[in-house]
Amino acid sequence: MPGKRVLLLGNEAIARGILEAGVSVVTTYPGTPASEIGDSISEIASEAGLYMEYSVNEMVAVEVAAGAANSGVRSLTAMKHVGLNVAADLVMTLAYTGVRGGYVIVTADDPECYSSQNEQDNRFYALLSNLPCLEPSDPQEAKDMTVSAIEISEKLELPVLLRTTTRVSHTRGPVAYGNLKKAKPQGQFIRDLKRLNMVPAFSRPKHTVLLRQAAKAKEISETSPYNKVVRKGTEIGIISSSSACNYAVEAADLLNLDAGILKLGMTHPLPERKIIDFINQYDKAAIVEELEPFLEMQIKAMAKDHAPNVQIYGKMNTEFFPREGELSTRLVGEGLAKITAKPMPIDFREIDEKYAEIKRDLPSRPPILCAGCPHRASFYVIRKVGGDKTLYPTDIGCYALGISPPLNVGDLMICMGASVGTAQGIRKATGKDTIAIIGDSTFFHAAIPGLVNAVYNNSKIVVAVLDNQATAMTGHQPHPGTGLTGMGSPAEKVLVEKVAEGCGVKYVKVVDPFKTREAAAVLKEALKQPGPSVVVFRSPCTLMDLREKRRRGIKATPAKITDKCTNCMACIKLLACPAIGVEEEKAVINEAFCTGCGLCISVCPYGAIQGSCAE
Amino acid sequence: MKEFNIVIAGVGGQGTLLAAEALGTAAVKDGLNVRVSEIHGMAQRGGAVVTTVRIGERVHASTVLEGQADVLLGFEPIETVRNLKYCSERTQVIMNTEKIPPTELASKNLKYPSSEKVMKDISLFTKKIAQIDAAQLARKAGNSLTQNVVLLGALAGTGILPLKKQSMIEAISELVPAKYAEINLKAFELGIQSIEKGKEA
Repeated sequence: MPGKRVLLLGNEAIARGILEAGVSVVTTYPGTPASEIGDSISEIASEAGLYMEYSVNEMVAVEVAAGAANSGVRSLTAMKHVGLNVAADLVMTLAYTGVRGGYVIVTADDPECYSSQNEQDNRFYALLSNLPCLEPSDPQEAKDMTVSAIEISEKLELPVLLRTTTRVSHTRGPVAYGNLKKAKPQGQFIRDLKRLNMVPAFSRPKHTVLLRQAAKAKEISETSPYNKVVRKGTEIGIISSSSACNYAVEAADLLNLDAGILKLGMTHPLPERKIIDFINQYDKAAIVEELEPFLEMQIKAMAKDHAPNVQIYGKMNTEFFPREGELSTRLVGEGLAKITAKPMPIDFREIDEKYAEIKRDLPSRPPILCAGCPHRASFYVIRKVGGDKTLYPTDIGCYALGISPPLNVGDLMICMGASVGTAQGIRKATGKDTIAIIGDSTFFHAAIPGLVNAVYNNSKIVVAVLDNQATAMTGHQPHPGTGLTGMGSPAEKVLVEKVAEGCGVKYVKVVDPFKTREAAAVLKEALKQPGPSVVVFRSPCTLMDLREKRRRGIKATPAKITDKCTNCMACIKLLACPAIGVEEEKAVINEAFCTGCGLCISVCPYGAIQGSCAE
Repeated sequence: MKEFNIVIAGVGGQGTLLAAEALGTAAVKDGLNVRVSEIHGMAQRGGAVVTTVRIGERVHASTVLEGQADVLLGFEPIETVRNLKYCSERTQVIMNTEKIPPTELASKNLKYPSSEKVMKDISLFTKKIAQIDAAQLARKAGNSLTQNVVLLGALAGTGILPLKKQSMIEAISELVPAKYAEINLKAFELGIQSIEKGKEA
């Protein structure tokens, strides 16, 4: 209902924007903090008459959407920041071909690495590709800018980046609905050799076209309602964007600063005239932005000729604001206090000192594998067979948690799919047994070329695919191995073992990780192979399994520790299962957490744990 | 009211997100401006989680500043202590007494901090402490998974929340599965009563 005010997560607001913009093709590969965009659309896609897919990776997601957008259909692809690295090859040249239907790429950045391997600032992709970029600061803007980004894209015939951060994607706030626009999933592909085929002779003139469109984008930015002075003041001029602007507004309140604030919602191309007019009103300007000095670099370059007398503060020479991690009202306040020589009204140091004292002895609680997680069984087997001498490059997913003691499986983790490739170099350079650890969704996403390479160059590695039948970490989205699509319809199951065989791997086995002895025997044999081998450890994610059992009214039967227990603590030392604790020097099973997976029964040297067990 | 800041701390899987969403939904029903911060993904797997709710016309950021919480709603004692940096002498702490021992205690042969130690740590920051046995009240309501809603009830019961009780009830009913709505509303009432009883005593 238009006008209705609803509490929405930033990502849900983007999904609402998709419906209000009449976007008809949505593609994604799940990744925190972007996942709920695709998930929200997946829930309603068939009802809303649009097409949604979980693509095999971000590159393919952009390819599918780019094909649709070049057939005149409004499209959108959502991904986490590092996903854009995967898709970058395509995006850089898609900027040359352009699009006919509006096309938006949502990149959700993750300052502070809450759920990511790095905290790269994807606004630089806008600079690199010459594509326009919009940056919402809250859920309302996230929705509104999704609609605007589609309109800008269609007007310029260029893809547009919509860049959020964790604090935008995962903040809930009130959102006023606009009108829905009916999806139009049927388009028409118009053949145009020179426009769409990027051979050198056609690419060169298209580069000129791109620069011309970028100049038009700059004019849009100059008049964009998203680039506006949100507060007038005389003491200092602040320029900010995204969640950093929320902190800047509140920090100015906190310090009682008479600050003018120019909020930028379209941050590429920058509205140069607007910025110069704004900073020329002040002696001092502060650029408040998260991560890299993206705005600061460009604003300083503009100011050199057009505002040479304004002193510009940020993070480039002296760090008034940190370049790493996420910002906060406190960090922005402390920076502004230094710049304006004002005192901070709250004594944070006193709080810090008091807190440090109680924090010192407090037990930590890092994320861990769930009770009943099949990965724990796989890691137990892998560690038992491979021991300390084997090297374990690992990958992105829940199983990255295997690096923690006592499982200790994981020696090199970089990005999606890298375990299989890096394993080959490690094996070459060290001659040691090397077992690459990778999940099912990650295998399909980025490991297949690496596996082909291992076959082709005969690299003696073992690839252990920890197949839990879902993209688990991001919310159990389906993938090519699950037999289900984003539209909720059944699909052909692509099996990891068939893919491996097709790639030419000679030794391919599927094991149940909870049958630890059998799995260990297979893994030992795999290590003896003269070439690459693949062992698929297959067992569904315990969270999905429990949900399914609950639905069917099946109750878990927790394991029980009997009198035979000698307090050897092997179960605790080997597994670190959240369902096994210690009370009065004795191992005890917490019945509320135990799923009855039976792994502790397999590892107990005295047969002192009772219950069902897969062995 | 300038702003009202709530910090909800617990362990992944305890239902802190739903509690925060219920507060945010109730705020929107009451026509108030609100921001709720959440952390998903890696941070959720049985790890320490913190969610914040900020209500007020001048609120822009979703995160709470050190020392600026009006309420710390602790779903677990250790997690309550872990988030004391948000507290000052004006903060009302509401703490669930149900312990979830971190896995590292067993493997490192450490003990869960004593109740005395937990209370001493909290009282360094604030004297306004209410302890709730949410697990017992949730079982009484009919499902041990409703501890989060018991704690919401306790928060409502303090009377300091700038939200209408009716809006909270509506928000909870909308957010939980329909077949569990009745049990959850009972859990909410039991939470309210537990605080009101405490006040009389």
